[in-house]
Amino acid sequence: MPKCTIDGKEIEFSAGENLVKVAKKGGIEIPVFCYHPGLSVVAQCRMCLVEIEKMPKLQTACSTPAADGMIVRTQADSAVKARAATMEFLLLNHPLDCPICDKAGECDLQDNSFGHGSPSMRSTEERRTYVDVDMGPVIQKNMNRCIHCTRCIRFGEEVAGIHEMVAVKRGNNLDITTIDGKQLKTEYAGNYSDICPTGSLTLKDFRFQKRAWMLKKTDTVCEGCSKGCNMEIQQEGNKVYRCVPRENLEINRYWMCDEGRFNYHYTQDPLRITRLKGSAFSPTPHWDEVGMAFKKLANGATVQILIGTDLTLEEMQAIIDFAKTQLPEAKLFHFGTPGVRRTTEDGPLDQILKMKSKTANLNGAELLGLSPLETEIVKAESVVVFRGGRAALPKIDSKNIIGVGVFKESEASGFNMILPSLAFTEKNGTIVNHQGKSQLLKRAVLPVGQCKPLPEILMLVLNAKKREGAGT
Amino acid sequence: MRQTLFAQHFGKPSNASLAYYLTAMHGYASARKALSEMTPDQVIEEVKKSNLRGRGGAGFPTGMKWGFIPKQSEKQKYLVCNADESEPGTCKDRQILTYTPHLLIEGLLIGSYAIGCKHAYVYIRGEYTHEAKVFQKAVDEAYEKGFLGKNIFGSPYSLDITLHRGAGAYICGEETALLNSLEGKRGEPRVKPPFPAQSGAFGGPTAVNNVESIANVPFIISMGGEPFAKLGKLDKSGGTRLISLSGHVKKPGVYEIQAGELTLRQIIDDLGGGILNDRKLKAVIPGGSSAPVLTAEEVDVVYDIEPLMKIGTMMGSAAIMVVSEDADLVKLLLRITKFYAHESCGQCTPCREGCQWMESLLHKIVHGHGSTDDLNLLVDVAQNIGGKTLCALGDAAAGPVISFVKKFRPEFEEYIKGAKHHA
Repeated sequence: MPKCTIDGKEIEFSAGENLVKVAKKGGIEIPVFCYHPGLSVVAQCRMCLVEIEKMPKLQTACSTPAADGMIVRTQADSAVKARAATMEFLLLNHPLDCPICDKAGECDLQDNSFGHGSPSMRSTEERRTYVDVDMGPVIQKNMNRCIHCTRCIRFGEEVAGIHEMVAVKRGNNLDITTIDGKQLKTEYAGNYSDICPTGSLTLKDFRFQKRAWMLKKTDTVCEGCSKGCNMEIQQEGNKVYRCVPRENLEINRYWMCDEGRFNYHYTQDPLRITRLKGSAFSPTPHWDEVGMAFKKLANGATVQILIGTDLTLEEMQAIIDFAKTQLPEAKLFHFGTPGVRRTTEDGPLDQILKMKSKTANLNGAELLGLSPLETEIVKAESVVVFRGGRAALPKIDSKNIIGVGVFKESEASGFNMILPSLAFTEKNGTIVNHQGKSQLLKRAVLPVGQCKPLPEILMLVLNAKKREGAGT
Repeated sequence: MRQTLFAQHFGKPSNASLAYYLTAMHGYASARKALSEMTPDQVIEEVKKSNLRGRGGAGFPTGMKWGFIPKQSEKQKYLVCNADESEPGTCKDRQILTYTPHLLIEGLLIGSYAIGCKHAYVYIRGEYTHEAKVFQKAVDEAYEKGFLGKNIFGSPYSLDITLHRGAGAYICGEETALLNSLEGKRGEPRVKPPFPAQSGAFGGPTAVNNVESIANVPFIISMGGEPFAKLGKLDKSGGTRLISLSGHVKKPGVYEIQAGELTLRQIIDDLGGGILNDRKLKAVIPGGSSAPVLTAEEVDVVYDIEPLMKIGTMMGSAAIMVVSEDADLVKLLLRITKFYAHESCGQCTPCREGCQWMESLLHKIVHGHGSTDDLNLLVDVAQNIGGKTLCALGDAAAGPVISFVKKFRPEFEEYIKGAKHHA
């Protein structure tokens, strides 16, 4: 493998890799603004200037491929001065309103200013200001904070496949905006905020909600569709504030869709049923009553068990095992997305990330040998529905309906009994994406209300049945 | 006796006609010779021998540039003529476009044949409305006579020429910004590499040449590369140079000299007739407004690429701006800096932010609010721009500031002391 030397460190690289990447391998961070590994290289911000032996001028590390024997000095006096100069230029017109900016704490401009800039300002000129356009429901624009890195423009063109962000005017008046000031159309708009190196593009959803450094982060996977985009849940005080994508070059690269990003809201919806509920219970229901009630309801001549493909492999297996011993006559089906009953019917919904199956674990349900629910209406004397929160409920024609899992008030109005269980933010488990990759959901927040893990609910029912059996 | 190639044909609008070109200038004989008797490689070889160096500003050898175009390419190859002539002070290409447009067409024909281009573009400055009309008329004439189009001179070679009008941005004279503009994109320079020779117009290998460079090619083919090279008095530059002489001289205008023939002083005194109103010479900007300024003591330099480079300035587009003792250099620098701040495309940080900052600082000084700190800051800002930007506009803006303050600091200090005020 060819080698180059960066700051005295010999680092191996593969052909075509740029100096920012190669330096990172050796643990050397070269600061960047406009460069993003998922976007084309434009070398506009000039933050990554480094000295390269035998080259008369400083070179931008982002646009310079490493060469065998190349000697690079990121800490050469000229490079250090150039970076300080770039920082000074960028801050000339930046409002420095970090105390009221949502990006503060996770801002490239802040970090690089601290690392490479000067603590004092030499300019006494008036700052440039802009009037902002309304960018629609997802993104809040603040052009005064913009450093014109054009990541957003390139993201739109190269990743989201839509030319909606543009640079207008020129020179010192350069404005980054949308075409004709229209609202953003892409269903991937949240990424604009992720890749913005300043607080110019922030999420309306997250605005003024929480300081970035207060958030605790959990690596998990999005449950929004069968893609399985890797993401991070950010919470504080047992409340989820934000989900952001994590890099996984084989699945979602650096991105995620807005549907997946904001999907977590239903787990914190005040209309989510988080307490035991239903006509089968006493006015102040308690888990102790569950066993008896369950037995009564699931006692019909025909029993159907519906398993949402939004559940984890472990949960599905527990249900299968439970049914085998406790309800041997029952028929088991999986359900999730209308029209996408099996993985052969699944496929990309757009050219980017979205899949047709709106649940995460259709593949897993098939692996466990479950059959899909083929009928439009479920007819049986007793029906038990297990659901993670996203699977689309079929119409159920039954006098005895038990719901186990995550439901909203409006969804479960005809149910006789609801046993609240955990949403994807509250549990650990495995899901299998459309490629057959097993990935882990990780618990980010604790269950709310009376919610219990699904296996625990099954054990409660099972134990209650056993107790009763011993009594008779 | 000075030999000139162009100058004798300038001045008369009727000289732009094909009839004049065919009779008085042996028009299209060179192209006929190249297409029927020479291989493309032989043409490039001849241009290499001629020591023709790019007339747009950088002075890069034209033959070498053409040699970089790959012989085999899956993508269409292009020859693009840069007729943006946007460097302040430069007005020589305009003469060629107005009076000898067929010379440019013939040059394009030979050059396109040499690099294997089937469609050549001429990107003309938006302000050149008259020139665009004259040139388009010449192109139409050439098509009519079969000098352009299919099977030119009965050879298998075909060429189309499209005239593309710019919209008046300085930056579109930078070759990659020009290509973006030509493709209908924002006129912003591209990251190099890839160089246009690898991936230029519409992604194909492209040579971008200045009007004067291309217009010299028919002469090279007719007289031969070596005799053309010998027109130059120094080793490295062949042919003649069109000089745009402006400012405080008695006879401003476009002049033609043999490369390296005269010193800057000779050009000012002999061609320009000396300083206007017989005042004293104060400064000379020798190669378009971006070239570092020279003092009156430095003008005995031979006017060619290498001698000027040796004293820290450049020949650029050969636009000489002469400044007499009556001029206020601080205001002149403000004017120049304002131009670059206005013309910065805005994509890269040092140029977008720095040029405006320099303008503000100079504004402050000119209006009597400046301090010595401001002056030092001005120079430091210029140094932070120079050499750090994506394209040469940053250098173009920084060069004048650094050289003006270095060579004429007392004039700036007068403003700072309050001895002088903006009227």
